[in-house]
Order: sequence, then C-alpha cells, then structure tokens
Amino acid sequence: MFVARSIAADHKDLIHDVSYDFHGRRMATCSSDQSVKVWDKSENGEWHCTASWKTHSGSVWRVTWAHPEFGQVLASCSFDRTAAVWEEIVGESNDKQRGQSHWIKRTTLVDSRTSVTDVKFAPKHMGLMLTTCSADGVVRIYEAPDVMNLSQWSLQHEISCKLSCSCISWNPSSSRAHPPMFAVGSDDSNIGYGGKVQIYEYNENTRKYAKAETLMTVTDAVHDIAFAPNLGRSFHVLAIATKDVRIFKLVPLRKESTSSGPTKLEVQIVAQFDNHNSQVWRVSWNITSTLLASSGDDGCVRLWKANYMDNWKCTGILKGDGSALTGSSGQPTAMSTVVGSSLQSQSAFNGMSAGR
Amino acid sequence: MSCSKPDILWSPHHPDRYVICDSELGLYRIGPAGGSESKPGTLPLSDETAATLLAINSDTPYMKCVAWYPKHEPECLLAVGQANGRVVLTSLGQSHNSACKELVGKEFVPKHARQCNTLAWNPVDSNLLAAGLDKHRADFSVLIWDISSKFSPEAGAATAEKIRLSSLDLDSSTVVTKPLYELGQNDACLSLCWLLRDPKLLLAGMHRNLAIFDLRNTSQKTFVNTKAIQGVTVDPHFHDRVASFFEGQVAIWDLRKFEKPVLTLTEQPKPLTKVAWCPTRTGLLATLTRDSNIIRLYDMQHAPTPIGDETEPTIIERSVQPCDSQIGSFAWHPSSQNRMVVVSAANRAMTDFTVFERISLAWSSTTSLMWACGRHLYECAEDGAEGLKGTIEADIATKMRQRAQSRYGHDMVQVWRNHVLAGGSDPQLKSLWYDLSYILQYCQGTPQDLQGNKQSMVYSGIKNIVKTSSGTSESRRCWSGSERQADVPQFHSEERSLALRLCGWTGRGSDQDVEPLLRALEQEKEWERAAAVALFNMDIRRAIQILNKGATADKGDLNLNVVAMALSGYTDEKASLWREMCSSLRLQLNNPYLCVMFAFLTSEPGAYDAVLNESSVAVRDRVAFACMFLNDTQLSHYVDKLSGEMKEAGNLEGVLLTGLTKDGVDLMESYVDRTGDVQTASFCMLKGSTGEVLKDPRIQCWIENYRNLLDAWRFWHKRAEFDIHRGKLDPSSKPLAQVFVSCNFCGKSISYSCAAMPHQGRGFSQYGVSGSPTKSKVTSCPGCRKPLPRCALCLMNMGTPVSNSPGTGKSDEKMDLTRENKLAQFNNWFTWCHNCRHGGHAGHILSWFRDHTECPVSACTCKCMQLDTTGNLAPSDSS
Repeated sequence: MFVARSIAADHKDLIHDVSYDFHGRRMATCSSDQSVKVWDKSENGEWHCTASWKTHSGSVWRVTWAHPEFGQVLASCSFDRTAAVWEEIVGESNDKQRGQSHWIKRTTLVDSRTSVTDVKFAPKHMGLMLTTCSADGVVRIYEAPDVMNLSQWSLQHEISCKLSCSCISWNPSSSRAHPPMFAVGSDDSNIGYGGKVQIYEYNENTRKYAKAETLMTVTDAVHDIAFAPNLGRSFHVLAIATKDVRIFKLVPLRKESTSSGPTKLEVQIVAQFDNHNSQVWRVSWNITSTLLASSGDDGCVRLWKANYMDNWKCTGILKGDGSALTGSSGQPTAMSTVVGSSLQSQSAFNGMSAGR
Repeated sequence: MSCSKPDILWSPHHPDRYVICDSELGLYRIGPAGGSESKPGTLPLSDETAATLLAINSDTPYMKCVAWYPKHEPECLLAVGQANGRVVLTSLGQSHNSACKELVGKEFVPKHARQCNTLAWNPVDSNLLAAGLDKHRADFSVLIWDISSKFSPEAGAATAEKIRLSSLDLDSSTVVTKPLYELGQNDACLSLCWLLRDPKLLLAGMHRNLAIFDLRNTSQKTFVNTKAIQGVTVDPHFHDRVASFFEGQVAIWDLRKFEKPVLTLTEQPKPLTKVAWCPTRTGLLATLTRDSNIIRLYDMQHAPTPIGDETEPTIIERSVQPCDSQIGSFAWHPSSQNRMVVVSAANRAMTDFTVFERISLAWSSTTSLMWACGRHLYECAEDGAEGLKGTIEADIATKMRQRAQSRYGHDMVQVWRNHVLAGGSDPQLKSLWYDLSYILQYCQGTPQDLQGNKQSMVYSGIKNIVKTSSGTSESRRCWSGSERQADVPQFHSEERSLALRLCGWTGRGSDQDVEPLLRALEQEKEWERAAAVALFNMDIRRAIQILNKGATADKGDLNLNVVAMALSGYTDEKASLWREMCSSLRLQLNNPYLCVMFAFLTSEPGAYDAVLNESSVAVRDRVAFACMFLNDTQLSHYVDKLSGEMKEAGNLEGVLLTGLTKDGVDLMESYVDRTGDVQTASFCMLKGSTGEVLKDPRIQCWIENYRNLLDAWRFWHKRAEFDIHRGKLDPSSKPLAQVFVSCNFCGKSISYSCAAMPHQGRGFSQYGVSGSPTKSKVTSCPGCRKPLPRCALCLMNMGTPVSNSPGTGKSDEKMDLTRENKLAQFNNWFTWCHNCRHGGHAGHILSWFRDHTECPVSACTCKCMQLDTTGNLAPSDSS
C-alpha cells in the first residue's frame, strides 16, 4: 500500500509550484498567498521551513533555484507582472541558531506588461542567465554579467512568440555540439492558432535566438513543458502537458559545418497518454530522464517509465491527496501491460495502482 | 429549468442526500459503492460511490423550479413552482410529522396564472418564500409568500376572495392567495436570490435590470440596467459578490459598486444554463453551457490587487469533464470539498465528481517526488521503507547511486569483478567487463617489446582483428575420444586464436585448450554452456560428461541426463532417424545452449545459421564459434552483420566486436541513448580506450555528466575518487593548480619555491610540513624574504608548525588520536576567509569556529563559516 508523507505546508492559499535545489536538500514553494517558503531537509529526512516571506503583490506562479555555484539564489515570477531574484544572506541576527535564514531581494524585473507566467535559470554552463515568459507572449532573457552582483541584470534578448506563454524550459545539454536551446509553451486554447510549442535556438553568427521548430501537432493549450536531462544522449527529449501527456524526441540532424541557421531537428513523438482523462497540469523528469511524473485534473500523479524498447508505460498512480488509490482492482499488473508508443486505449491502465 | 431538463438539489442537512427533478422528484442517497453491485436500485456514480433511490414524488405536474426548505425541521420539505405560477409545498419520503403535515400540500396561488421562473427561501426567516413569475400586464412579478400564513390573513377584505376560491378548490384551507409582499410591478422576474449580508434584501433578475428590493421599504429598489439577469447567485464566502449571466457571458458584480460589473468572463459560444459558486472554497465559480460535456471553473479567490491605477482580479480558468455525455445540470456538494454531482441531459445518468486542485510536482536529484495539492505538500521518498521503491526499483538513477557506493568501476586488478559490484544481475555489464578484462589480461601477458602493434589491435575489437587475418589454414578435425570420423572443417589463424582468447574460450599461452574455461563453467554450474563449448571443440565425450555432472549435482536438472543420452546417439548419417528427430525436437528445448548443440550436430558443415543467429546465446560464444567454423568471407560478413546489430541495439555485448574504437563509441552512444547509464560508459571508456579515442567529445560529455550526477547526489568523495581514477588513466584530464598565494610585498607567488619540488598538495599551499625532512621551514616569502602573514589565532607567522590549540586539548578529541594524526598536516595549512581576508592555521581556525560564529580578528564581524551554504552541506557518501 502506497502512502505518501504529508508535510505541513502552512501556506494560506493554493501552492502553485515546488522546486528542489541542485542537491535535493532544499526546496522552495510559492503560493497564491503571495509568499515563497524555503525548506531545508534535516539529517533525519524531515523538512523544516527556514524562511517564509512575501515576495510579490499577486499570486506567485513559479519559483526556481539557480545552480549553487552562483550562491543560494531563487527566482520567482508573479501575476503582479514582475519577476524577482532573491539571495540568501547570513543575517546580522542569530538567524542560523533559530533555524531561520534570511533572503533579500536583489532585483525586480519589471519589463513585462502582463502576468509573468514562468521563470527559469539557463543551464549553468551559459553563465548566470534568467529567462521569463509572460502572458503577452514575450520571452525575455536576462544576464547577470557579474555573478557576484545579483542586483544588475541586463535584458539580453526579447523574443516575441505571438501567443500567450505559459511555460518555458531550457535544454539542459551542456554538450558543445548542442547550441543553447529552449522550448516555450502557450496556454492559448484556440486550436486555430496552430502549434503551441515553439523551440528556439541560439545562433552563434547572428547572436540571436531563432525559431528552430514549432510542434504543429500540439494544438491544444499547453500547461507545462520540460526538457529531459540530456545525460550525454545524442538527442533531446521533451515532455509536454497539454490535454494529454506527450513525449517528443528531438534528434538533431548533423549539419554541415559551414551552414549557418538553426539546427534541423527531426521531431518524433515517442508517447502520448490520455490516462489522466483530462487536462494535464505538470510534467517533471527525474535526474536521469528515465522517469516522468505528470499530474492532471483527475487529481492523480502518474509515473511513466520507458522499457528497453523505448516504449513508455505507466508504472504508478498516486492520488493527489496522498491517500491510497482504491476502487479499481489493485493488482500490480503494471509490468505485464504492454504499451506501445502509439495512442493507447483508455482502459489499458485502469487496473493498476502504485506500490501494491 | 424546464421540466424536460433535469436539475439537482443537495439536501441542506443530509450530506448524503439529493433530489433530481425533471418531470418528477427523485430523492437519492449517496453511499460507498463497495459490494453494492448486487443490491437492486443502486446506481454507480463513480468508482467509489453509488446512489440509492429513496423516494419518488410525481404529485406535482408542470414543475418549473424547485427549492429546498433551508431549516432542519421539517426536513425534506420542497417548494415547487409550476407552469401556472402556483407554488406547491411538497415532501419526499418522510413520515409526516405534525409540523410537516400542516405544510405539505399547501399551495400559493398568484392572481394571474403565468409561469413561475424561480423560487428562493429566505435563509434566515425561513417562513419567507420568494417566487419570481413571468410578466402579466401590470401585475407584480415577485411574490413573497409566508408559508406559515393561514388561508385568510386579512379577515375583511379577503372574504369575498375566499368565497371565490373555495369554489375553485375543495380544500381551501391549503390554498394561500395573499402574498406577504408584492414587488416588481409591470415586469418579469427571471431569477432571485436573498442577499446573505442582510436577509431583508432580495436580489432579483428582472426583465432588463438587476434589482435589489428591501422588504423594510418595498416602495424603493436599487437597480442597475443590464442584460445579465439570469441565474443571480451570491458568493457564500464573499457576501458582496454576485454572479449573473446572459447568453454565454457571466458578469460578476460587487454590491458595493453596483453600477457596473467588476468583471465579465470570456464569452462562451453557447448559452449558459447554470452558474454556481463553490460552497467549500472561496471564489470558485462553476459554469455550464448548453449541449456541453465540460464544466468551466473560474478561480477568483485572489482579491483584486491594485497595480498602479488599474485593478484586475486574477482568474484561473479551467475546464473539467466529469462524464462523457452532455451535462444537464450539476450541483456542488454543500460540505464535501470541491465535490459535485452531475446529471446528464439525456438519460438522467448521474456522476459523483470531485474537482481536484491542480498539482504541481518536482523530482529531487535523489529520486524523491514532491507534489503540492491545494495547500498541502506531499513527499514520496525513495529511501523510505515503503513508497516509490516498489514501482521504480529498477530505475537507472537508483542503480547508478547504489553502484557508485559499491565502488563500481574502481576495481583495476580484477576488472571482470566490476560487474559483481554493479549487482551482478545484468548480463550485458557482465559481458562488457569480461571483455575488458580479457583485453587487459592479454596486454599484461604480452611481453613489452611485442606490444605496440598487437596491443592497438587488441583494443580494436574482433571485427578489425578478423579483417586483418591472413594465412588461414583449414583442417578437418575428428571427434576427440571418439572413433567416429567427423567431416567438420575448422579454420585456424593467428588472428583467430587471438579472437578466441578475447572471447574467453582459450586462456593465456599458446595452447588452444578450453579445459580451464570448462572447469570454470562447471564451477559456476553453467552446465549447458560448458557442454556446448566442449561440443564445439569436438569433444562429445566431455560434453556428455559435463551434462551427467550437471544432472547429479546439487539441484541439478535430471533432464540433462536425457540430453546426454540423446547426444551420445549422434551419428553423421544424413538420413538417420536420430538426425531427423533431433532437428525437429531441438526447437522445443528451452535452453538455448542445448538447442544450438543439436543445431550444430544436425547442420551441414559451413551452414550454421541456426547456431549463429540464436540470439539468446551469448555473443562471445557465437563469435568464438564463428571463428572456428566459418571461412574468411563468411566470418567477416557475419561479424560485420552482428556488430551492426549490436550497435543499432546499443547492446554492450557488441563491445567484443567493435572494441573500444570509434565504432565502440558509436555502440556506447546508442547504449547511453537507450539507458542513460553514463556511469558504465565513463568507466568503460576510461578503462580500455587509447588516448586518441578518449578525445571524442561524446566521451568527455558522458564523463562530465557522470561527475555532475555525483555532485548532485553529494557523492563528493566518490567524485573526487573518480577524478583521481580518471587522472591515472587519462593524464590529460588532470586539473592545474587552482590557487596561488602571492606575497603582499613583492607580489611573487610564494609557492614558487615549492613548485620546483614534486607536487604534493592538490591546490593548497603547504608550509612547514614535516613531510620532507630536507625542506626547510618557510616563514617568509622566498622572493623578498619578508615575513608571511600571521595566524589570526596564534599570532605566529604562517609556516610555523601549529602548536596544540586549546581546542585540541579537550579530552574527547584526544581520544581520536589517529584521526588527529591524519589531520596534523592539514592543521598546518594556511587558510583564509574569502570575504574578510583574515586567516590562519587551518586547525586553529576550525577549532575557533566550533564555538564561535564570527571571525577571530577583533572588530571583524564576518561570519566566515556560514557564508557558503554548500560548504555546510555534508557529503552523503562520507566513508
């Protein structure tokens, strides 16, 4: 029987995002109560809230950690049209003794005229760069030229995506063969506007980001998007939360060394699951990109895993309120269910539950 | 709310009861579904719940609207508005108690018959029932009835009327014709609701305006002209907020600023049929449009935030699909969180449905999953006794972590043992590490002067080895230990015997003896494989002997004796019964090795496809077999084909063929693509590759990714060990010195004199270390002879050996003498804070910060030790 551990979050309103730091020892949550909380894991595995402060004058949509080599740095974005960068400092008082840490605002990024829907740090090999996307369809890339001074950020790129943006994800590959790349998703629900996921790539010659690909098959509103950790693979994997869970493989075609312009990508759909039977809200990869977790409006968290044939299948269903999944005949039939990469029949997983 | 379209009402008091009304009233009770399939009359609502029909009331025809009496007593009292404008009180399935009896059946009749559109009980003064009617000339359209009133509230004036009515109704005592209040003259009323902030106020959606009537002063009304007059409803959590709709558009009103809607929601293409606030959560509005199977939710809980001079409430829009069919109506459960029952438009099919909060989630680097649902956080940790373990046991992230902790890849002496460190359960890893082991063994076994050319060939894999093959000799060997003649051509060459060695069939030295392998296999109880190898080496007697041994051994398989029996009957007669039976029955053998033995015996010489293409036989055995029995053309064709397949599949067994050449990197790439196992890739490539191949950016990328993984897991010691390991095998990867200390006075590096000596520390400068007796103490700059800075604690110049600090005098620290000794040299190191630039002997500084948070230098308030959060994290692999 699967039972998840509940943590007293003590947020006064809906929690919109949770984010782990690089080592998985710290966590940040943000909420509609306009605050961000930072949590530290003690040696016995308990989570303790070590900081909680009001960050914005609106719902805080997302919070994200910078790589620890830049210090203890968080970024948050909000409905109040701003994004903010926060840094932990060693306070004048004996904060540490009380188990509390002190975070101060280093900068507020006010360029957006509408709600800032997502904020992400670029992969660390690119330096300290921060990306925001907003409901007016603009992706902004900021850079802190001096990593010691987090109060100075310069707006390096402003990319108009034409569609209201809901989420952004950097390709984490640090390979020199892969130029910097990010994907942005739109929650515009008008399917007439075409593909809702756009992929941009940095062009060394023009020093600008240019669109490399639009996933034309994703026409419904996209709520979340996540590049898988690359781990030295020769291709990129992208998970998309839309009306279903989709996994795309982007294979860079080796281009002639002389040609400029964006890398040609061969886009393959690897898996598509409508098991949530409703809108899918979030997707998240584990560190080796061998496990995908998704959450949907059915109130469940589902875990997905690929077998050696690259066939993805559901390996677990967890109820959002942490309770055990009841009702369906819960035999661990997960392993024997064969699931192809094509569209699955709805009932394929009805008999499964996690951990039993 | 026409009679064709069903509607739902939850009981205000029983959390498990609701009424469906279409042409009749049906009372249902909702309960758990468990085991109720057999019970007649239950309707499944969801996986967990089912409904039981308790009562049906079809007494009241022409129902237009229904409202449930809000007070406890009498329970189950319903007011029904009819098409002729009458309002009837009725009940469902109740034993008629006195209070109820009096009321049930009571009718409230308007002066002029017209449709009753809406009903609303006053939530406080529950005797008041408001009814909204269609327009009839100049008549009033909002009538407020007092249900406790008798048939003649006013004796005098009503007498005539009473007489008139008594002719109409036989039981005139139950008919009330005089409303308590009459409002909304010369107008139509489409929707009504009592305001929660003041029970004397009634909000009515009239023909072209929203009006608020005050019962204390019925002559006045507050009103605003709007089209959005349908379905007025007050937010139960925010009493000044009201929603109403017109066609496809919802308007949200603030009663304190009633002039215009504070908000209009995006227009829907189809007309709306119902709008309802969620009673269990603030600011959640559900809307339904006609002919639709989705319910749209608007989350308005974020109070308007002034930004500059504009205000704009936040709305998160969602849509949920409770069932597949089109929805007739829905109703929020009054107390269960975010729960509703939905009834379909067509066949009264009901669904119990909960609107879930949107869950955000994240994986940690150590494969625990955190998710936030509503205001709650849940963690599902990998290392718990229960939890994710069962579902994702075999994930590569977990495997790599375990392998890193068991020092996988670090065994340099017995290279093959690494697969045991990896868990010993992966046949591909086993094959890979044996391959590497044989390669390294060969290199060690070959005299130094012969290496060079040969060695590079060993690394280049069997595929390249057999290509260079020249001078192949053919021989026909007899079955050893058997008098029978065999006509099996065998091929020999120097390269082929090298290949056999790399396959592990023959050992060190020049003799082509497989006996050591057979004995090893017998030891590992791999009887079938041993027998097959013996047979392929033309020793049928040995094969039989092995099988016999296998049958008699502990937990042996007695069937092996039967196989041995069949084997002993071997005949090379082409048309014999033995041959016929063996070739057909061998396919039923489960063990691939037994299968290929008979395939070999029944095959024509040179046509061994049945052996070569048996994919469950290890690649090394198939390749070794091919090296013995295929001629040059066949062999190189076979090896090419097989290595192509292995590369395609990313099968590590293929490393035997490709070696650790560029081909091998291609194979490893497809292995990493498939599994993400950069750990194996990094170690394998480091172990067996030559410098040239190691420069491949892909390999460097795997190594970087593996180091990054170790860092993320806080396996810093493991990472450092890996770096040391890597430095040994790939000297070019050694990092340069990281820190130099320069003299304050002359600016020259003070490690200048040390640099000439053999490198001792990795990146730290060491002074006064007693390690080398010849080295004099350095307390001054070697360039300008000015003294070095002083330690902030002992005030000696740096370079002076550290004396016992008070901290180390403590008894508990004396206990750990060996540890102290290990640290003795470290205690002498010069260390400083990068923030305040104060420093001293590492030992002194460390013992100071055990008890203090601030810098030991006077008036310096720097909290040196707390500045680096990562520095305060403990490695998770300290061993």
